[in-house]
Amino acid sequence: MLEAKGLKKSFGNIQATDDVSVEFGQEEGELVFIVGPNGAGKSTLINLLTGLLEPDEGSVVLDGEEITGLRPDERVHKGLVRSFQVVKVFEEMTVRENIRTAILIKEQMTGGWTPSSFFGGLFSLADEHEEVEGKIDDLIEQFRLEDAAETVADELPHGDRKLLDVAMSFALDPNYLLLDEPTSGVSAQETDYVIETIVEVSEQQNVTTVTIEHDMDLVKGYADRVIALHQGSVHGEGPPSMLETDQELRRLLLGVEE
Amino acid sequence: MVLGTPLTIGDLLQPERFITQTINGLQAGFVLFLIASGLTVILGILDVLNLAHGELYALGAFIASSVGGYIVGTGANAIVSPPSGFDPVSSFAFVGVLILIALITALIMVPIGAIVETTLIRPIYERSQVYQLVLTFAILLIIADIVTLVWGSDPQQLAFSTKQAVNDIPSFELVGLGNIPTLVLMVILVSLGLGVALFWFFGRTKTGRIIRATAIDREMATALGVSTDRTFTLVFALGSFLAGFAGAMQFVITRAQTGMGEQALVLSFVVIVVGGLGSLRGAVVGAVVVGVLQNWMIVINPDFQTAAPFAVMVLILLVKPEGLFGTWGERT
Amino acid sequence: MTPGLSREDGQLKIRIMKGLELTPLRLVLLLAGIGFLFLLPAIARNTGNLPIRVRPIYRGMVLGLAAVGLNFLLRHADLTSFGHAAFFGTAAYTVAIMVQIFDIQSAVVLMAVAVVAATLMAALVGYFTLPHEGLYFALVTLAFGQLAFSIPVGISELGGTDGLNALTGASGVPIGEQYPRLGGLFFNGQEVPNTILFWVTIVIVVISLLVMYRLIRSPFGSALDAIGQQRTRARFLGLPVKRYVWAAFIISGIYGGIAGALYALFFSTSIDPGSTLQVFVSGDILYIAILGGFKTLTGPFIGGIVFETLSNVASDVVITGPAGETEVGRLITGAVLLVIVFGFPSGIVGSLKPGGRVYEAGRTLIRNPSVVGPWSRQAGRGVVDAGRRAVKNVRILIMGVK
Repeated sequence: MLEAKGLKKSFGNIQATDDVSVEFGQEEGELVFIVGPNGAGKSTLINLLTGLLEPDEGSVVLDGEEITGLRPDERVHKGLVRSFQVVKVFEEMTVRENIRTAILIKEQMTGGWTPSSFFGGLFSLADEHEEVEGKIDDLIEQFRLEDAAETVADELPHGDRKLLDVAMSFALDPNYLLLDEPTSGVSAQETDYVIETIVEVSEQQNVTTVTIEHDMDLVKGYADRVIALHQGSVHGEGPPSMLETDQELRRLLLGVEE
Repeated sequence: MVLGTPLTIGDLLQPERFITQTINGLQAGFVLFLIASGLTVILGILDVLNLAHGELYALGAFIASSVGGYIVGTGANAIVSPPSGFDPVSSFAFVGVLILIALITALIMVPIGAIVETTLIRPIYERSQVYQLVLTFAILLIIADIVTLVWGSDPQQLAFSTKQAVNDIPSFELVGLGNIPTLVLMVILVSLGLGVALFWFFGRTKTGRIIRATAIDREMATALGVSTDRTFTLVFALGSFLAGFAGAMQFVITRAQTGMGEQALVLSFVVIVVGGLGSLRGAVVGAVVVGVLQNWMIVINPDFQTAAPFAVMVLILLVKPEGLFGTWGERT
Repeated sequence: MTPGLSREDGQLKIRIMKGLELTPLRLVLLLAGIGFLFLLPAIARNTGNLPIRVRPIYRGMVLGLAAVGLNFLLRHADLTSFGHAAFFGTAAYTVAIMVQIFDIQSAVVLMAVAVVAATLMAALVGYFTLPHEGLYFALVTLAFGQLAFSIPVGISELGGTDGLNALTGASGVPIGEQYPRLGGLFFNGQEVPNTILFWVTIVIVVISLLVMYRLIRSPFGSALDAIGQQRTRARFLGLPVKRYVWAAFIISGIYGGIAGALYALFFSTSIDPGSTLQVFVSGDILYIAILGGFKTLTGPFIGGIVFETLSNVASDVVITGPAGETEVGRLITGAVLLVIVFGFPSGIVGSLKPGGRVYEAGRTLIRNPSVVGPWSRQAGRGVVDAGRRAVKNVRILIMGVK
């Protein structure tokens, strides 16, 4: 289980995260969606959970272990992985090379960083195993990137870049996966496919997945649980039907007038 | 870069020395501020580390030597002769002439800077940062040799009588610090004035705010109709103006000499690290700290004069790596 | 994985060591290059008029080695160090101090301690640069480079601006045996020991390049590439980014240290701040890497040799200007740099490799010599266009857009 306990974070006068306590993955493989208007603090919450930001107060607990002080890379070793709203991939590498890099780093870092693994890595050669290639092929297939496999990342269309970002996250065999708006900027047809793939792979590998999403239909279609944020704090938590029943939430999210 | 007379051990015990060196330090600091402010603004807005900035300063100093030589002369053919002895009207008028020399020099530097930016620097904005560093370094080398080519390798300075014309004006004598030349006060006041003007420009004028907007979000500024090309050229020209003015001040108060550019450049870097990237306020604080510290070192331990600013820099890097007024990823 | 032959993609390849396989052509070129270097001292002795001199080429080799170190950071981690002279100079000064003040003569000991000193310096400076990237990183490295420069300048025991000699030991050492030595061979600046040192340096350089080759191909090297291309992503894939960058920085400093120690052994009377620690030395090292081609392995090294040879020639060029006859070596260097940045950004080796500008142009030319005509016209038009654009820019500046 991944827990946020009383997280608070402010930037100057803005309280971006205001005493947020939530938990994910009490049921393994849970699919949680985080919703809320812009500026609600959704990305900030992910940044706090993954270590990109340090909370002013509060703590983050992963599988019973307090990880608030850990660096982001250390959290990855413990199975906490994320993707980015603004795509971050290795621009000069092809899709295949990007995914391979993710897998190789995972292999290198299994068990965390130790001096012996580091110095060992200095002079050994990054050989290509067949299993690694096989895994890359699987991921490319799952995310429908076959046509783009040999294309350099900075030449990819936006939708493929998003898929690559998510694919790389899955390549790390995460236990918990936090996705920051994986469908933003993606075309309507592809959006369905992106979320479908994410859900499918998550279920296959029993990954607790937390997704920030704006498209309510998608949320209603796939979520096990929905968490709504507003102005830095949790407005409400519940099953996807909450989106229909909670009028105030509907107003906030959809601007629906009564 | 620094003023001050060598001291004996007996002088160490006199607080007067510290006051003298503090004032000298302020002067050096303000001149350094003019240089560093241009550098930090160019860095913050154009994202260019202008390694040639020190040479622009040196170029300013040497251009001032020619302009100054023409106007007030180093010999007989002066347009304006320095008054001998103190006379309220002509002495202050003469101060005005010196300031005019600096202004003319700085204005000459404006088109130079603009041409450098448009022809050499603009084409590499989109390219990998390493090329930018190599390019500005190349400009440094070229300007350095051009200076030597045109003016030679001997230092240039104003005649003693010319400097004395200002120093005859009573200033520090009135507060019992007679050994500080009035030129120091002049440079402090003029640089301070220019600094205030700079802050006013960025804080209050429309152009200044447009420049800051461009720095924060280039695309947005373009969408609002701002020509980023023109803005960048303007900023670089402004930096050249400031560097040239500082060079002229330095020429007036001491001399123009080879190697002054390199020294100024490195100290400017220290100022930026201490003060924070792209921050004018930080540049003021950093420059004053560096200037005063170096001049105090003349009293305390001359051997560490060169190294002292670096000690402060290391301290800041340890305690607040983004600089006193710097914030990661923010501009002026 | 012993040396041997193998066939790959239908092409015969010769394996030199694990992971390094060359086509016969490449191997021949490599051996020819190394052989040429070994023969250089003899060639220099016998060609009075050509600008081939052992001293500048040696300086080029060691600066080139330092540039290879710098390139490790630049090419892979995308970090431009503008203070590499700090490691070069630290090593050189350590040699001088040990000879002059501590009477140590064994070249092996001198080198070992000097490299350790440079490594410590790199660890220290590297630590301070960790929070930074990009231009700020360059700025901090430059500032530390100047800090290193200011230390011997300010301390008279370290020779001040005149520097130290790695020659004279303290009293008690017999005259004639005051030099660093390797076994019974004294590096006293004479032709024979210089030549031996030259050859030893070539061997050290080749080994260093092979080591670098392995480093680049290792998981560590791939991790650095990832860090250089997208640092945040690398961090969130599980890489302890700062540690890796620090390690890479130290490795690049070690190369600078080896280079500095070799420099001190050869140029024992020129160990002064201006030649080993000044910002211009750091600039030279960076410039050498770009000149040779920073996207290649051997580029920086070759850049070093070319650079020093050209410098040697350029330093004699004199122009008569308003101030009389002036040496314009820096002007020429600056101009060459501009040509590289605008015309040949991949450097010498980069342009000569397949895919590089000069290589591809050469192939086109061989296939179709008549292409010279259109090329010349294109070049001419390019110059005219550039001139027109410059004039237009100046007009816009002065008169605003009309």
